[in-house]
Amino acid sequence: MSETEPVTNGTERPAETTAGETDERTREAWREYEFAGETKLAVEDLDVYYGDDHALKRVSMDIPEESVTALVGPSGCGKSTFLRCLNRMNDRIGTARIDGSVELDGQEVYQDGVDLVELRKQVGMVFQAPNPFPKSIRDNITYGPRQHGDIDTGLLARLTGRDDSEAADRLVERALRQAALWDEVEDRLDDNAMGLSGGQQQRLCLARCLAVDPEVILMDEPASALDPIATAKIEDLVEELAEEYTVVVVTHNMQQAARISDQTAVFLTGGELVEYDDTGKIFEDPESQRVEDYVSGKFG
Amino acid sequence: MIHVPREEYQTALGDLRADVLALGADVVDQLEAGLTALDTGDEALAREVIDADAAINDRYLALESDCVDLLALQQPVASDLRFVAASFKILTDLERVGDLATNLGEYALSADGESGDVDVDAIGADAVDQLETALAAYESGDPDACRAVAARDDDLDALCQRASEAVVRDLLERETGDDSWAAERVLDDVSRLLLTVRDLERVGDHAVNVAARTLYMLENDSELLY
Repeated sequence: MSETEPVTNGTERPAETTAGETDERTREAWREYEFAGETKLAVEDLDVYYGDDHALKRVSMDIPEESVTALVGPSGCGKSTFLRCLNRMNDRIGTARIDGSVELDGQEVYQDGVDLVELRKQVGMVFQAPNPFPKSIRDNITYGPRQHGDIDTGLLARLTGRDDSEAADRLVERALRQAALWDEVEDRLDDNAMGLSGGQQQRLCLARCLAVDPEVILMDEPASALDPIATAKIEDLVEELAEEYTVVVVTHNMQQAARISDQTAVFLTGGELVEYDDTGKIFEDPESQRVEDYVSGKFG
Repeated sequence: MIHVPREEYQTALGDLRADVLALGADVVDQLEAGLTALDTGDEALAREVIDADAAINDRYLALESDCVDLLALQQPVASDLRFVAASFKILTDLERVGDLATNLGEYALSADGESGDVDVDAIGADAVDQLETALAAYESGDPDACRAVAARDDDLDALCQRASEAVVRDLLERETGDDSWAAERVLDDVSRLLLTVRDLERVGDHAVNVAARTLYMLENDSELLY
């Protein structure tokens, strides 16, 4: 935070308080805000350390179901770390230490005995770069359900008369339709997925995620590697998916957050969640001057 | 010190603010000149006011276009967004005040300088003051001044109401007998006075609009908008 307030158009708030005091008031203001919808994920006092690096500091926020929550902030602010905490992807990082609580439907995610495979089925993830398996389009979709035992199309299954291929076909079509990819690939389901365009690959990854019937979909910069047309398709999908799923999206694209999300959480350097509110409020009248500066493109 | 990387954008915001204020100052000048022409019957000044309106309109359109460019190209958010949105609306009010000043010029051309019991100067001074206060609030970012403009508008409205009643009362008291030419002149005077009062009352309304948009810009507060 600067000592001198920027002078642009005479609308800045007076700088009578320090950044710390202002942020504390801000935090109180937004924590009183009640989002529409039931809480799907409740995060309380979450701290994440990578070795000595305190990557996320006492983050608390409730993520409502059937809505889109955007996480924005500069690189290194901890938003991807936060996202990965929601389905314990950080467990895979040896130096990571996590304190605090994450509850999914009221059940603690960070407790002994949680089945991580089941957790990640419930809380699926789509990454920044499309990462389809070097397999057929069909196999990409059925891979997850097969791992979870939801469908079985293997040789043994056929020999024992448990051929689920029809169910698999239905599932492939459902997932691809949900990801708005079906019309483009229905005639080439056995082609290698690596032959798809980047945008198609990303929608395939989304379809792969949807195939296991998740409840929450985490997306880490899902459109940053895509052209504007492919980006628009992903954005449309995100909004459609929010009718049924809880979607949490990390994005660097502020306008994208404004377009697609219902609520926006702004993380700033140092792993702090500075403000979390209705997206309209964040982009029209944020409480925190630091958030105002960040979303307006004035960086401290 | 906060690093402000979007230099062109910041410059455009600053320019817009300065241009809105410059237009506002010129519209106030127009209004004052219109009132002077009405008071003194200075025909040359009245024509100057009328002729200057085209330039005001051109500047208004250019600034409106600047706002659209800023929205489309720079995608302002938060207080910047409210600033551009408020300015966009304020420009319309200023342009309308310019039109009302032109009306005063036109009334001046046909008036004989006689306004009976109506103190047009006092009403005009009040209207001008309202607009100047609203513009000063926009310039300095003063929410209290915005609310003060809105509160004071009731006084101006009451002043205008009393003035209109005085004009009508004056009309009823005049005796023109069978002199149809005199009757027509009285009607002209009365209509012109009523229109003058109405236009000045509207200047006050536009000043309130400027204040209301400024309050929205400053505090995201819509209490003065209606």
